[in-house]
Amino acid sequence: MDRSEHIGESAELYAVGALDPAGHAAVEAHIAHCAQCLRRVGEAEETVLALERANAVHAARRDARAPRRLTRQAVAWLIPLTAAAAFILGLLFPRPVPQHDVATLAMIGSHFSHAQFSGHGSAAKVIYARDRSWYYVIVEGRRRYSVYGFAGTARTKLGETVPSGKTSEFFTRSSRAYDRLELRDRTTIAGIATIR
Amino acid sequence: MAVIFDSRTAHWASVPDESLAESFGRRDAGAYEAAYRSFGPRMRATAMRLLRDWDAANECVHDVFLYLWRKETAYSAARGSLEAFLVTCVRNRALERLRDAARGRAANEKMEVREEYVLEEDPIERERIGRAVAALTEAQAAVVQLAYYRAMTLSEVAAQLQIPVGTVKARLSAALRALRRSLIPQVDHGP
Repeated sequence: MDRSEHIGESAELYAVGALDPAGHAAVEAHIAHCAQCLRRVGEAEETVLALERANAVHAARRDARAPRRLTRQAVAWLIPLTAAAAFILGLLFPRPVPQHDVATLAMIGSHFSHAQFSGHGSAAKVIYARDRSWYYVIVEGRRRYSVYGFAGTARTKLGETVPSGKTSEFFTRSSRAYDRLELRDRTTIAGIATIR
Repeated sequence: MAVIFDSRTAHWASVPDESLAESFGRRDAGAYEAAYRSFGPRMRATAMRLLRDWDAANECVHDVFLYLWRKETAYSAARGSLEAFLVTCVRNRALERLRDAARGRAANEKMEVREEYVLEEDPIERERIGRAVAALTEAQAAVVQLAYYRAMTLSEVAAQLQIPVGTVKARLSAALRALRRSLIPQVDHGP
């Protein structure tokens, strides 16, 4: 597909998953720079959503050990909780997955918050579980930083950020709740984030 | 509206879907969680309708969020509804899995006997969609049934109906636009 040529009917075919991988990739490349075709794809996606509305929200797993019929409201809350449990079980048996994948799984499955690092270093933030069970540090740029956790006056080196794309990242699960994280570039403090 | 955790005030707050979409486009972590909570059930049900497997549907939803998280420019609010985008993404992911599995006959048979789920339908929506599909031309309705509901590839549809693939494409595209006019009547479709 020529970059200057609009995608036409491929917008609808893309939305319903009818294109082959090459056609799919061509549409994605085109809509990355064409607002008109992006909107047409968006409209086709809204049609897909309309077709899926009939059977969207009342999915629930049958559990022989729990014969009590779940209300729709209970199901709506149970689904994320079930997913969270699955994530936690998965994380108990670590596999060689990239840090950001593990972090994303943890984020999707639990309550979390985030804080910016203040300091003279690169822009950085920490995303952390509200129960302080994990911390995910993302620093702009590919420089490696040491990450320290503070619980009161006690300091613990948690690890080092690892370059990944345009950022440097560090994910850790922790049984200890920290009230402050520090980023260090060798011996220099590059940033401090307060965990609330 | 979606519910999102505001770290500045440490409170949960309702935000318009438009704000959520913009935050999601910026890969804001809070927006990802809010989107998961708001749209995850519908995404899961969409995948389940195709795969008929709870665990596989869950994996599809997680795959989509992971993919989008890693791909920086996957979504922008200019595209339109975030929910529609996510539901389409998960449907496409489920189709990939379905077609992978369908390459082996045994896999197909295995999927047909899985019944460990409850997928309820909203009868009012079902009827509304049924009316919209019935309003299509017979030729368009046939390609929608095969390509959309039975998840056939364009080549399979063409073979089934004994028409060229190009004709399938044109009919499917026209059918989707007609369904949009029926199902989303409040939209200004232009002159």
